[in-house]
Parts: sequence; C-alpha cells; structure tokens
Amino acid sequence: MSTQLLTYISVNDGKIKRSSLEVLSRCNQLAEKHGGTSAAIVISDSVSGIADELKQYGPSAIYTIEDPIFKNHLNTPLLRAMSKAVEEIQPSVVAFASTEGSKDILGALAANKKAAALPDMSEFELSDGGVKGKRPVMASKIISAVEATGSPVFISVRSGSYDVAENETNPEITSIPFSFSDDDLKITLREIISASSDRIDLNEAEAVVAAGRGVKDEEGRELISELASVLNAGIGASRALTEAGAYDPSLQIGQTGKVVSPQLYIGVGISGAIQHVAGMANSKVVVAINKDPDAPIFDIADYGLVGDLYKVLPPFIEELKKVKSEK
Amino acid sequence: MKFYVCIKQVPDVNAPLQIKEGHLIQDSDRNILNAYDASAVEEALVLTEKHGGEVEVVLIGSEKAKETLRKALAMGAHKGTHILSDADETYDSYGYAQILAAFFKDKEYDYISCGKQSQDTDAGLTGSMLAEMLNLPYTTNAVGLVANGESLVVKRQGDTGQEMIELPSPGLVTCSNDMNDPRIPSLKGIMQSKRKPVDTIAISDLSGSASEAGAKTTILAYEEKPEREPGKKFEGEPEDIAREVARLLDTEANVI
Ligand SMILES: Cc1cc2nc3c(=O)[nH]c(=O)nc-3n(C[C@H](O)[C@H](O)[C@H](O)COP(=O)(O)OP(=O)(O)OC[C@H]3O[C@@H](n4cnc5c(N)ncnc54)[C@H](O)[C@@H]3O)c2cc1C
Repeated sequence: MSTQLLTYISVNDGKIKRSSLEVLSRCNQLAEKHGGTSAAIVISDSVSGIADELKQYGPSAIYTIEDPIFKNHLNTPLLRAMSKAVEEIQPSVVAFASTEGSKDILGALAANKKAAALPDMSEFELSDGGVKGKRPVMASKIISAVEATGSPVFISVRSGSYDVAENETNPEITSIPFSFSDDDLKITLREIISASSDRIDLNEAEAVVAAGRGVKDEEGRELISELASVLNAGIGASRALTEAGAYDPSLQIGQTGKVVSPQLYIGVGISGAIQHVAGMANSKVVVAINKDPDAPIFDIADYGLVGDLYKVLPPFIEELKKVKSEK
Repeated sequence: MKFYVCIKQVPDVNAPLQIKEGHLIQDSDRNILNAYDASAVEEALVLTEKHGGEVEVVLIGSEKAKETLRKALAMGAHKGTHILSDADETYDSYGYAQILAAFFKDKEYDYISCGKQSQDTDAGLTGSMLAEMLNLPYTTNAVGLVANGESLVVKRQGDTGQEMIELPSPGLVTCSNDMNDPRIPSLKGIMQSKRKPVDTIAISDLSGSASEAGAKTTILAYEEKPEREPGKKFEGEPEDIAREVARLLDTEANVI
C-alpha cells in the first residue's frame, strides 16, 4: 500500500496558520517522491471557507470535521475527532505543525492509537515503514536523528522548517461525520483570557523584535514597539519579561515558549541564555543590542551593537526609517 | 488533596556536552531534577499546604537517580516511589508512560502532575500519553493552578493567549516552569528527607504492560548542531553604530 500522509490544518480566527501549510507542502513533496497521497484535515466549528482556501496548497484530498464544540479550545473533542479521522483515513503518517494546540493532544493521540510520536521535528523524511528525521534536544544544543516505525506515526514539525509551496489542485472535500457527546467532555472550558488576534503572529513573522530584561520600563517598551512598527515585525520577549508581566506570556520565545525563524531577529537587552536561544537560533539574520560586550548573545549575532539600548535604539529607529523611505 | 508528581532526573543542559561516534557523552555528576518537574512539585506543595493533603513523588530511574527523588522529598514532598530501572534500559515517552500507567492503575489520587516536558528531550509527550492510558481528563502547559472545591482551575498557556480550564478530579496536569520558583531545600528539609518513606519497585513487579514497555522510537545518532558563527561587533558612539548597522541590514544582509 502506498503511503498516505495526513496534515492537520490548524486554524486561528478563521485563518489557516502558515506553519500548517509548511507541513502540508512538505507532505506533498514526500507523497510525490514516494508515490503516495497527501491529504489535509480541517477540524473547526466552521470549515467551508478554509477548505476552499486549502485547494491552493495542493493536497490530494481534503477532509473536514465540523462541530460547534470546536469553538472552545478543549482537547477532548479534538482528540476524539482526530482519532475518528485516523480510523477513517488510515494514514501512515499524521503531521501537525508544532503549536501549543497540537502539543496538547499529540501524546494522547499516539497513546490512543498505540502508535509512535516524534514531536518538534526540524526535518523529516519517509523511511522503510515509518518516518525518520531530526529534532533538536538538550535545549537545542544538539540534534538527535530519530526514527519511528509502524502505522500511523504521529509527528509535529517546528515552524520555519519548510517553505510553503502553492500548487492549485482540485481535491475532493469529504466531510467526516462526527458527533460529540457531552458525556465525553471531561473538561469544561471556563474562558479564554488575553487572546489577542490583532498583532503579528510570532511563528509566522518575517521579522521579530525581542525584548529582554534590559528593557526596564514604559520608555523601553515604547522603543521596542517603535522598532517593531518600522520593521513590520512581531514582538517577542525573553522569559525575564513575560514573567515580570511586561509582555504577554504567549510572546515568550525559547525552549518553553515559541520557536521563531524569521528573516530578521533583533534581541534587545537579552543576554542569550541557551533556553532563549533554543527558540530563535534558526533566524536568518540575528542582531543583538546589549550593553555588556561579553553577553553570550553576541556569540551568535551577525550584527552586535554594544551599548545602552536607551541610547542606541532612538538613532537606530531613525536610521531604519531613513533606509526604508529611500526605497 | 492527594497529589502524585512524576519527576525525572535529567542531565544539566548547561553542562558541557560532547558527541563521540553518535553517542552523547555527558558529565554524569551534573544530573538535576527536571526544572518543569520541580515546578510541578512546588505547585503541589503550595496547594496541599493551603488546602491539606499529601504529595507523593514518583521517579523512574537507575539507582543513581534516587538523589533526585531525595531532592523532591527535601523540598517537602511526603513520600516517594522509586521505580527502579536498569541504567542500560532505554525508554521513550511511550515507554515511560506505560510504566507509570501500570503503577497508577490501582492507586487513588486527586491529581497526577508532571512537568510539561523534560529539559533534555523536550518531547512533552509523557503527560498526555499517561492521561490517555489512564483515561483521565488532562490539561497541558499549566502556568497557574487554583483549587476550587472538588476541582482544579488550571490556567494554561495556549498559542494566542491563556485559557482557564476546570479540571475535575481525578485528573492530570502538566506544568510549565513559568508558574513559580521552586523552593530550594533547607538544611532541615534535607535532614528530614532522609527519614521519609521511599518505596522501591522493580518494573517487573508492575502489571503486564509495564514489563513490555520499551521504545516505539529509536535514536539513531546524536549530531553536533551547526554553530552560528559570531558576526561583527560594533562598539562606539550610539549614533555611529546605529547608522552603520541600519545600513548594513539593508545593503549587506538584505533583510529590510
Ligand atoms: C527549564 C527552563 C526553561 C526556560 N525557558 C525559557 C524560554 O523559553 N525563554 C527565555 O527567554 N528564557 C527561558 N528560560 C530562562 C533563561 O534561562 C534566562 O533566565 C532568560 O532568558 C533571561 O532573560 P534575559 O536575557 O531577558 O535576562 P538577563 O539574562 O537578565 O539579561 C539581560 C541582559 O540585558 C542587558 N542589559 C541590561 N540593561 C541594558 C541596557 N540598558 N541596554 C542594553 N542592554 C542591557 C544585560 O547586559 C543582560 O545581558 C528558561 C529557564 C529554564 C531553567
């Protein structure tokens, strides 16, 4: 039997996450190379527009599961829905973008299917009877080459590992019947707090400005916002600042937080502790601003500015504005 | 409230690491209590100190890993179970979850908690695998826990914001280390920990599924990560270095 790859398409606020399309694009490539199929699945309270939009990205089939229950971020319904989908579709590989949402169910889903899971892969390939690939370990200091056999194998893939390729197809859209009984609902959602949808999604941002403990006050945060706005960048933070309440915890970059892989990362007042670096080391160009010339972040920065951020940022912002306006 | 906290001994990721012929060589004297597990222990201690109850820590590991179990007892956990494994046996998240599931099968508790991931593998699978094997409701990536009568209100960090979830008992929660600063054991705590009860069980003493536990995934090799080369460092007057780097980002790095 040929290999069936299935990509879970994560949707936020009615928008498909780029990280999911990256994974789908990679699965399409592998299906082509190995002569299998690459399907996508959307699970949401409203799927129609999303399924149509997905056609642009070349899946060989699109599956949907629609139910109002998915409006609430609960793991049990999603777990049951994915479990049902896997039974119906019988894929040999199920791939997710590595997000907090998918991390929440990956293990449980694998246990449910008595199957192997390889989380947070930075690259993956089909192998004889399974999947092999690489994943960063030890706070991303080391790469581990791993393999899992059996069917299905569940994986999640770090954002920025692959490029999105457009390739319009006309796949069939199949709706999988699903009903969720409230008896299965062992967890009740109370509320979602501080979900902000208007800002640039860090995982998907082309440029990221990250603030660290050196950013001490409102004036510093203003400078960060200005810098981000000039560059149309997403704002992130080190744990020192999310913990202090200066930035929303969802903006934390690092081993515990988000993994970003923008074209440009600017770390401002960040020392470069390995747990932070674990989340940004794959940025294409790294700029660091720090007053300590021996800060470890300078060891990985392409451009290191040694100086007080309160003195360096104002002229830096001005210069960037000038460069931009000359274009 | 009866809490079981699953803990793991991990190599300190700050210690020097070496790879020899695909194997990871690490200084075995620099093993620590997984930081995420330490936060889970701390949180369970705070809750039981406030509302009454007991914290029991469970660790799977070789003889040497006992020091880590003692550390959690010195922090204040009441009891420990050491599921003794051979230093040569290797388990992945699935294997650990299977062993733990066999251990918990006949236990009574309000909550099991774990770290959200282990600092060395960063896999983050064991907790939710265990929950599914035990058919328990669960929440991952907790950044706050509050007792609310019979249930726990868990604040979890989601992709775009925080979510408040009511987790009924018995349930399982995995903890981030963003939620607290785990206490450092006092001298008194360390002395007391020596008298605290520790059960040692062999994996073969647990029910069937545990003795079959192994790994569904294989580590083929460890590889050096290509290091980022340090680039240029600019020192001098803020205006000068700011101007220079802004221009270089445009003309040399082509990122703006
Ligand atoms: C298990 C675990 C997981 C973790 N996960 C994460 C994670 O996901 N993300 C994360 O970020 N951290 C994480 N950490 C914490 C991490 O180890 C560091 O403590 C944290 O990243 C430090 O943040 P910082 O660089 O902002 O602060 P600091 O290390 O305090 O550095 C501040 C820097 O700012 C500079 N500075 C101060 N004032 C100025 C000024 N006026 N101008 C210019 N520079 C200035 C200083 O020279 C210093 O280098 C984790 C830790 C553990 C143990």
